[in-house]
Amino acid sequence: MSAFLDSDVPADVLAKARLGDAAAQEAIYRAFERPVRTLARRLVTGTAAAEDVAQDVFVEVLTRLEQYQGRGSFAGWVRSISVNKCLMHLRSPWRRGLNWVEALARFDPELQPDGPASSCAGDSVDLERALARLGETARAVVWLHDVEGYTHAEIGALLGGTASLSKSQLARAHARLRELLDHHGVGTPCMPVSTSC
Amino acid sequence: MHARLDQLLSLRDGAPVDARLAAHVAGCADCAATLAGVSSMRDRLRALPVTAADVAGGWAGVQARLAARERGLRRRATVATLAAAASVATLALLAALRFQESPAPAAAPAPVSTTVAELRDRSQALEALLAALPERPAVAREATAVPIDNLESQVQWLDHQLSLAADTLPAPQAEQLWRDRVEVMSSLVQLRYVEAQRPVL
Repeated sequence: MSAFLDSDVPADVLAKARLGDAAAQEAIYRAFERPVRTLARRLVTGTAAAEDVAQDVFVEVLTRLEQYQGRGSFAGWVRSISVNKCLMHLRSPWRRGLNWVEALARFDPELQPDGPASSCAGDSVDLERALARLGETARAVVWLHDVEGYTHAEIGALLGGTASLSKSQLARAHARLRELLDHHGVGTPCMPVSTSC
Repeated sequence: MHARLDQLLSLRDGAPVDARLAAHVAGCADCAATLAGVSSMRDRLRALPVTAADVAGGWAGVQARLAARERGLRRRATVATLAAAASVATLALLAALRFQESPAPAAAPAPVSTTVAELRDRSQALEALLAALPERPAVAREATAVPIDNLESQVQWLDHQLSLAADTLPAPQAEQLWRDRVEVMSSLVQLRYVEAQRPVL
Protein backbone atom coordinates (compact mmCIF):
# COMPACT_ATOMS: atom_id res chain seq x y z
CA MET A 1 0.00 0.00 0.00
CA SER A 2 1.08 3.59 -0.52
CA ALA A 3 3.80 4.63 1.90
CA PHE A 4 2.25 8.12 1.90
CA LEU A 5 -0.67 6.85 3.96
CA ASP A 6 1.64 6.13 6.88
CA SER A 7 3.11 9.64 6.87
CA ASP A 8 1.75 12.83 8.32
CA VAL A 9 2.80 15.93 10.23
CA PRO A 10 0.94 17.73 13.04
CA ALA A 11 -0.93 20.93 12.21
CA ASP A 12 1.35 23.05 14.42
CA VAL A 13 4.41 21.83 12.51
CA LEU A 14 2.72 22.83 9.25
CA ALA A 15 1.90 26.26 10.65
CA LYS A 16 5.51 26.81 11.76
CA ALA A 17 6.86 25.59 8.42
CA ARG A 18 4.62 28.09 6.61
CA LEU A 19 6.31 30.83 8.61
CA GLY A 20 9.70 29.61 7.48
CA ASP A 21 10.73 27.68 10.60
CA ALA A 22 13.68 25.54 9.44
CA ALA A 23 13.14 22.84 12.07
CA ALA A 24 9.49 22.44 11.05
CA GLN A 25 10.46 22.29 7.39
CA GLU A 26 12.98 19.58 8.18
CA ALA A 27 10.29 17.68 10.13
CA ILE A 28 8.14 17.68 6.98
CA TYR A 29 11.10 16.45 4.96
CA ARG A 30 11.80 13.67 7.46
CA ALA A 31 8.13 12.63 7.55
CA PHE A 32 7.85 12.31 3.78
CA GLU A 33 11.40 11.53 2.73
CA ARG A 34 10.85 7.81 2.34
CA PRO A 35 7.52 7.83 0.45
CA VAL A 36 8.63 10.65 -1.86
CA ARG A 37 11.95 9.02 -2.65
CA THR A 38 10.31 5.61 -3.07
CA LEU A 39 7.80 6.99 -5.56
CA ALA A 40 10.54 8.82 -7.46
CA ARG A 41 12.75 5.72 -7.53
CA ARG A 42 9.86 3.63 -8.89
CA LEU A 43 8.72 6.06 -11.57
CA VAL A 44 11.96 7.72 -12.65
CA THR A 45 14.73 5.73 -14.28
CA GLY A 46 18.17 6.24 -12.75
CA THR A 47 19.00 6.74 -9.09
CA ALA A 48 20.54 10.20 -9.54
CA ALA A 49 17.59 11.45 -11.59
CA ALA A 50 15.13 10.04 -9.05
CA GLU A 51 16.94 11.74 -6.15
CA ASP A 52 16.98 14.97 -8.16
CA VAL A 53 13.23 14.79 -8.71
CA ALA A 54 12.66 13.94 -5.02
CA GLN A 55 14.56 17.06 -3.94
CA ASP A 56 12.55 19.13 -6.42
CA VAL A 57 9.38 17.74 -4.84
CA PHE A 58 10.41 19.00 -1.40
CA VAL A 59 11.33 22.43 -2.76
CA GLU A 60 7.88 22.58 -4.33
CA VAL A 61 6.13 21.37 -1.18
CA LEU A 62 7.98 23.74 1.16
CA THR A 63 7.56 26.80 -1.06
CA ARG A 64 3.87 26.19 -1.70
CA LEU A 65 2.75 25.32 1.82
CA GLU A 66 0.44 28.32 1.95
CA GLN A 67 -1.49 26.80 -0.96
CA TYR A 68 -2.43 23.74 1.09
CA GLN A 69 -5.87 24.72 2.36
CA GLY A 70 -6.46 21.71 4.58
CA ARG A 71 -8.88 20.12 2.14
CA GLY A 72 -7.92 16.44 2.00
CA SER A 73 -4.92 15.00 3.80
CA PHE A 74 -1.56 16.71 3.71
CA ALA A 75 -0.02 13.36 2.71
CA GLY A 76 -2.35 13.25 -0.30
CA TRP A 77 -1.32 16.78 -1.25
CA VAL A 78 2.38 15.89 -1.03
CA ARG A 79 1.73 12.75 -3.05
CA SER A 80 -0.04 14.64 -5.84
CA ILE A 81 2.92 17.05 -6.09
CA SER A 82 5.30 14.09 -6.14
CA VAL A 83 3.40 12.28 -8.88
CA ASN A 84 3.18 15.44 -10.98
CA LYS A 85 6.88 16.13 -10.61
CA CYS A 86 7.78 12.58 -11.64
CA LEU A 87 5.49 12.67 -14.68
CA MET A 88 6.76 16.12 -15.66
CA HIS A 89 10.28 14.73 -15.53
CA LEU A 90 9.30 11.80 -17.76
CA ARG A 91 7.61 14.14 -20.24
CA SER A 92 10.42 16.70 -20.39
CA PRO A 93 12.11 17.00 -23.81
CA TRP A 94 15.51 16.85 -22.12
CA ARG A 95 14.53 13.56 -20.48
CA ARG A 96 13.18 12.09 -23.72
CA GLY A 97 16.46 12.95 -25.40
CA LEU A 98 18.24 10.65 -22.98
CA ASN A 99 16.12 7.63 -23.80
CA TRP A 100 18.76 6.15 -26.03
CA VAL A 101 21.30 6.30 -23.20
CA GLU A 102 18.94 4.30 -21.03
CA ALA A 103 18.39 1.82 -23.80
CA LEU A 104 22.13 1.18 -23.72
CA ALA A 105 22.09 0.94 -19.94
CA ARG A 106 19.59 -1.92 -20.17
CA PHE A 107 22.45 -4.01 -21.50
CA ASP A 108 24.43 -3.39 -18.33
CA PRO A 109 24.82 -6.85 -16.66
CA GLU A 110 24.16 -5.28 -13.27
CA LEU A 111 20.72 -4.24 -14.43
CA GLN A 112 19.74 -7.57 -15.94
CA PRO A 113 17.30 -9.82 -14.09
CA ASP A 114 19.81 -12.66 -14.34
CA GLY A 115 22.79 -10.45 -13.52
CA PRO A 116 25.50 -11.26 -10.99
CA ALA A 117 23.47 -10.28 -7.94
CA SER A 118 20.46 -12.33 -8.93
CA SER A 119 21.59 -15.66 -7.61
CA CYS A 120 21.59 -14.48 -4.02
CA ALA A 121 18.87 -11.86 -4.32
CA GLY A 122 15.38 -12.23 -2.96
CA ASP A 123 12.00 -12.10 -4.65
CA SER A 124 11.66 -8.35 -4.14
CA VAL A 125 14.94 -7.68 -5.94
CA ASP A 126 13.78 -9.73 -8.93
CA LEU A 127 10.49 -7.88 -8.96
CA GLU A 128 12.25 -4.51 -8.65
CA ARG A 129 14.44 -5.40 -11.62
CA ALA A 130 11.49 -6.54 -13.67
CA LEU A 131 9.68 -3.33 -12.77
CA ALA A 132 12.71 -1.28 -13.82
CA ARG A 133 12.64 -2.94 -17.23
CA LEU A 134 9.09 -1.89 -18.01
CA GLY A 135 8.48 1.07 -20.26
CA GLU A 136 8.08 4.36 -18.42
CA THR A 137 4.35 4.67 -19.00
CA ALA A 138 3.58 1.07 -18.12
CA ARG A 139 5.71 1.33 -14.97
CA ALA A 140 4.02 4.56 -13.91
CA VAL A 141 0.57 3.09 -14.50
CA VAL A 142 1.18 -0.17 -12.65
CA TRP A 143 2.70 1.67 -9.68
CA LEU A 144 0.09 4.41 -9.47
CA HIS A 145 -2.79 1.96 -9.82
CA ASP A 146 -1.68 -1.12 -7.93
CA VAL A 147 0.34 0.53 -5.16
CA GLU A 148 -0.78 4.16 -4.82
CA GLY A 149 -4.42 3.32 -5.48
CA TYR A 150 -5.10 5.82 -8.27
CA THR A 151 -8.15 5.07 -10.42
CA HIS A 152 -7.84 4.52 -14.16
CA ALA A 153 -9.67 7.80 -14.77
CA GLU A 154 -7.16 9.68 -12.59
CA ILE A 155 -4.18 8.04 -14.26
CA GLY A 156 -5.62 8.66 -17.71
CA ALA A 157 -6.02 12.34 -16.88
CA LEU A 158 -2.47 12.57 -15.50
CA LEU A 159 -1.11 11.03 -18.68
CA GLY A 160 -3.19 13.28 -20.89
CA GLY A 161 -5.32 10.37 -22.09
CA THR A 162 -8.32 8.35 -21.03
CA ALA A 163 -9.13 5.60 -18.54
CA SER A 164 -8.87 3.11 -21.42
CA LEU A 165 -5.24 4.09 -21.95
CA SER A 166 -4.54 3.38 -18.29
CA LYS A 167 -6.36 0.02 -18.43
CA SER A 168 -4.49 -1.17 -21.49
CA GLN A 169 -1.15 -0.04 -20.05
CA LEU A 170 -1.89 -1.87 -16.80
CA ALA A 171 -2.67 -5.11 -18.64
CA ARG A 172 0.48 -4.69 -20.70
CA ALA A 173 2.56 -4.03 -17.59
CA HIS A 174 1.24 -7.13 -15.84
CA ALA A 175 1.85 -9.30 -18.89
CA ARG A 176 5.40 -7.99 -19.19
CA LEU A 177 6.16 -8.40 -15.48
CA ARG A 178 4.90 -11.96 -15.58
CA GLU A 179 6.95 -12.65 -18.68
CA LEU A 180 10.13 -11.21 -17.16
CA LEU A 181 9.73 -13.04 -13.87
CA ASP A 182 8.73 -16.37 -15.40
CA HIS A 183 11.38 -16.22 -18.09
CA HIS A 184 14.07 -15.95 -15.44
CA GLY A 185 12.52 -18.61 -13.24
CA VAL A 186 11.59 -16.39 -10.36
CA GLY A 187 7.86 -16.09 -10.93
CA THR A 188 5.39 -17.35 -8.42
CA PRO A 189 3.85 -20.75 -9.17
CA CYS A 190 0.36 -19.23 -9.36
CA MET A 191 1.24 -17.12 -12.42
CA PRO A 192 0.71 -18.77 -15.80
CA VAL A 193 3.03 -17.81 -18.67
CA SER A 194 0.42 -16.77 -21.23
CA THR A 195 -0.91 -13.21 -21.26
CA SER A 196 -4.46 -14.41 -21.79
CA CYS A 197 -5.91 -17.77 -20.98
CA MET B 1 -13.56 -18.24 -24.60
CA HIS B 2 -11.29 -17.29 -21.69
CA ALA B 3 -11.10 -13.89 -20.06
CA ARG B 4 -8.56 -11.33 -21.25
CA LEU B 5 -5.98 -9.96 -18.83
CA ASP B 6 -7.59 -6.51 -18.73
CA GLN B 7 -10.93 -8.13 -17.88
CA LEU B 8 -9.32 -10.14 -15.09
CA LEU B 9 -7.69 -6.97 -13.76
CA SER B 10 -11.11 -5.30 -13.72
CA LEU B 11 -12.50 -8.29 -11.85
CA ARG B 12 -9.62 -8.11 -9.38
CA ASP B 13 -10.22 -4.40 -8.78
CA GLY B 14 -13.94 -4.84 -8.22
CA ALA B 15 -14.82 -2.89 -11.35
CA PRO B 16 -18.12 -3.73 -13.07
CA VAL B 17 -17.72 -6.73 -15.39
CA ASP B 18 -20.11 -8.83 -17.39
CA ALA B 19 -21.88 -11.36 -15.16
CA ARG B 20 -21.19 -14.16 -17.68
CA LEU B 21 -17.49 -13.32 -17.54
CA ALA B 22 -17.45 -13.46 -13.76
CA ALA B 23 -19.28 -16.78 -13.84
CA HIS B 24 -16.79 -18.15 -16.35
CA VAL B 25 -13.78 -17.13 -14.27
CA ALA B 26 -15.33 -18.73 -11.18
CA GLY B 27 -15.59 -22.03 -12.99
CA CYS B 28 -12.40 -21.95 -15.07
CA ALA B 29 -9.20 -23.15 -13.49
CA ASP B 30 -6.95 -21.29 -15.95
CA CYS B 31 -8.74 -17.97 -15.57
CA ALA B 32 -8.91 -18.37 -11.80
CA ALA B 33 -5.16 -19.03 -11.71
CA THR B 34 -4.42 -15.93 -13.81
CA LEU B 35 -6.70 -13.88 -11.59
CA ALA B 36 -4.85 -15.16 -8.53
CA GLY B 37 -1.60 -14.29 -10.29
CA VAL B 38 -2.48 -10.64 -10.92
CA SER B 39 -3.76 -10.32 -7.36
CA SER B 40 -0.54 -11.80 -6.08
CA MET B 41 1.47 -9.42 -8.28
CA ARG B 42 -0.29 -6.43 -6.73
CA ASP B 43 0.46 -7.74 -3.24
CA ARG B 44 4.10 -8.25 -4.14
CA LEU B 45 4.37 -4.74 -5.58
CA ARG B 46 2.87 -3.29 -2.42
CA ALA B 47 5.29 -5.32 -0.34
CA LEU B 48 8.37 -3.97 -2.10
CA PRO B 49 10.65 -2.27 0.41
CA VAL B 50 10.38 1.48 0.87
CA THR B 51 13.51 3.40 -0.04
CA ALA B 52 15.76 3.86 2.96
CA ALA B 53 15.82 7.21 4.72
CA ASP B 54 18.82 9.40 5.50
CA VAL B 55 20.29 9.56 2.06
CA ALA B 56 23.59 11.39 2.27
CA GLY B 57 22.96 15.10 1.99
CA GLY B 58 19.26 14.73 1.24
CA TRP B 59 18.01 17.50 3.53
CA ALA B 60 21.13 19.57 2.89
CA GLY B 61 20.42 19.32 -0.84
CA VAL B 62 16.85 20.53 -0.36
CA GLN B 63 18.08 23.42 1.80
CA ALA B 64 20.62 24.38 -0.87
CA ARG B 65 17.88 24.42 -3.52
CA LEU B 66 15.61 26.50 -1.32
CA ALA B 67 18.44 29.00 -0.74
CA ALA B 68 19.23 29.12 -4.47
CA ARG B 69 15.56 29.73 -5.23
CA GLU B 70 15.45 32.54 -2.68
CA ARG B 71 18.55 34.14 -4.22
CA GLY B 72 16.96 33.85 -7.67
CA LEU B 73 13.77 35.57 -6.48
CA ARG B 74 15.79 38.39 -4.87
CA ARG B 75 17.84 38.84 -8.04
CA ARG B 76 14.66 38.94 -10.11
CA ALA B 77 13.17 41.56 -7.80
CA THR B 78 16.32 43.66 -8.11
CA VAL B 79 16.27 43.41 -11.91
CA ALA B 80 12.58 44.34 -11.95
CA THR B 81 13.20 47.35 -9.70
CA LEU B 82 16.06 48.56 -11.88
CA ALA B 83 14.01 48.04 -15.03
CA ALA B 84 11.07 49.89 -13.52
CA ALA B 85 13.31 52.76 -12.42
CA ALA B 86 14.77 53.01 -15.92
CA SER B 87 11.29 53.03 -17.45
CA VAL B 88 10.07 55.71 -15.08
CA ALA B 89 13.13 57.86 -15.83
CA THR B 90 12.59 57.47 -19.58
CA LEU B 91 8.90 58.33 -19.34
CA ALA B 92 9.69 61.31 -17.11
CA LEU B 93 12.21 62.59 -19.64
CA LEU B 94 9.76 62.18 -22.53
CA ALA B 95 7.00 63.93 -20.61
CA ALA B 96 9.33 66.80 -19.68
CA LEU B 97 10.26 67.25 -23.33
CA ARG B 98 6.59 67.32 -24.34
CA PHE B 99 5.77 69.93 -21.67
CA GLN B 100 8.61 72.14 -22.93
CA GLU B 101 7.27 71.99 -26.47
CA SER B 102 3.67 72.68 -25.45
CA PRO B 103 2.07 76.16 -25.69
CA ALA B 104 1.26 78.14 -22.54
CA PRO B 105 -1.77 76.71 -20.74
CA ALA B 106 -5.06 78.46 -21.36
CA ALA B 107 -6.65 80.39 -18.52
CA ALA B 108 -9.64 78.05 -18.35
CA PRO B 109 -9.29 74.24 -18.29
CA ALA B 110 -9.70 72.82 -21.74
CA PRO B 111 -12.80 70.68 -22.26
CA VAL B 112 -12.14 66.96 -22.38
CA SER B 113 -11.78 66.05 -26.02
CA THR B 114 -13.62 63.19 -27.59
CA THR B 115 -10.32 61.40 -28.21
CA VAL B 116 -9.33 61.58 -24.56
CA ALA B 117 -12.75 60.30 -23.56
CA GLU B 118 -12.40 57.39 -25.96
CA LEU B 119 -8.92 56.59 -24.70
CA ARG B 120 -10.18 56.73 -21.13
CA ASP B 121 -12.98 54.29 -21.99
CA ARG B 122 -10.54 51.92 -23.63
CA SER B 123 -8.27 52.16 -20.63
CA GLN B 124 -11.15 51.31 -18.31
CA ALA B 125 -12.12 48.36 -20.50
CA LEU B 126 -8.56 47.06 -20.27
CA GLU B 127 -8.67 47.53 -16.49
CA ALA B 128 -11.80 45.37 -16.41
CA LEU B 129 -10.08 42.72 -18.52
CA LEU B 130 -7.09 42.74 -16.20
CA ALA B 131 -9.32 42.40 -13.15
CA ALA B 132 -11.03 39.39 -14.72
CA LEU B 133 -7.74 37.51 -15.09
CA PRO B 134 -6.71 35.12 -12.30
CA GLU B 135 -4.41 36.39 -9.57
CA ARG B 136 -0.72 36.26 -10.30
CA PRO B 137 0.91 32.91 -9.35
CA ALA B 138 3.18 32.62 -6.34
CA VAL B 139 5.88 31.24 -8.61
CA ALA B 140 6.17 33.01 -11.94
CA ARG B 141 8.33 32.65 -15.02
CA GLU B 142 11.11 35.20 -15.22
CA ALA B 143 10.38 35.75 -18.92
CA THR B 144 6.95 37.20 -18.10
CA ALA B 145 7.37 38.36 -14.50
CA VAL B 146 10.01 41.06 -15.18
CA PRO B 147 8.16 42.74 -18.08
CA ILE B 148 4.91 42.60 -16.10
CA ASP B 149 6.53 44.34 -13.13
CA ASN B 150 7.97 46.88 -15.54
CA LEU B 151 4.61 47.60 -17.19
CA GLU B 152 2.85 47.89 -13.84
CA SER B 153 5.39 50.51 -12.81
CA GLN B 154 4.73 52.41 -16.04
CA VAL B 155 0.98 52.38 -15.42
CA GLN B 156 1.55 53.70 -11.88
CA TRP B 157 3.72 56.50 -13.17
CA LEU B 158 1.19 57.46 -15.88
CA ASP B 159 -1.62 57.46 -13.32
CA HIS B 160 0.50 59.68 -11.11
CA GLN B 161 1.02 62.15 -13.97
CA LEU B 162 -2.64 62.12 -14.94
CA SER B 163 -3.78 62.72 -11.36
CA LEU B 164 -1.31 65.57 -10.75
CA ALA B 165 -2.40 67.60 -13.76
CA ALA B 166 -5.95 66.37 -14.25
CA ASP B 167 -7.47 69.84 -14.68
CA THR B 168 -4.60 71.88 -16.10
CA LEU B 169 -3.12 69.45 -18.60
CA PRO B 170 -3.32 70.72 -22.21
CA ALA B 171 -5.40 68.47 -24.45
CA PRO B 172 -2.50 67.17 -26.58
CA GLN B 173 -0.49 66.16 -23.49
CA ALA B 174 -3.52 64.58 -21.84
CA GLU B 175 -4.27 62.68 -25.00
CA GLN B 176 -0.68 61.47 -25.24
CA LEU B 177 -0.64 60.33 -21.63
CA TRP B 178 -3.93 58.45 -22.05
CA ARG B 179 -2.67 56.98 -25.32
CA ASP B 180 0.48 55.79 -23.53
CA ARG B 181 -1.67 54.31 -20.77
CA VAL B 182 -3.82 52.37 -23.23
CA GLU B 183 -0.73 50.95 -24.94
CA VAL B 184 0.92 49.96 -21.69
CA MET B 185 -2.32 48.46 -20.34
CA SER B 186 -2.80 46.52 -23.55
CA SER B 187 0.68 45.00 -23.26
CA LEU B 188 0.09 44.28 -19.60
CA VAL B 189 -3.17 42.44 -20.28
CA GLN B 190 -1.51 40.35 -22.99
CA LEU B 191 1.41 39.37 -20.78
CA ARG B 192 -0.82 38.62 -17.80
CA TYR B 193 -2.93 36.42 -20.06
CA VAL B 194 0.17 34.53 -21.22
CA GLU B 195 1.28 34.15 -17.61
CA ALA B 196 -2.12 32.79 -16.60
CA GLN B 197 -2.08 30.30 -19.47
CA ARG B 198 1.36 28.93 -18.62
CA PRO B 199 1.60 28.65 -14.83
CA VAL B 200 4.79 27.29 -13.28
CA LEU B 201 3.86 24.15 -11.37
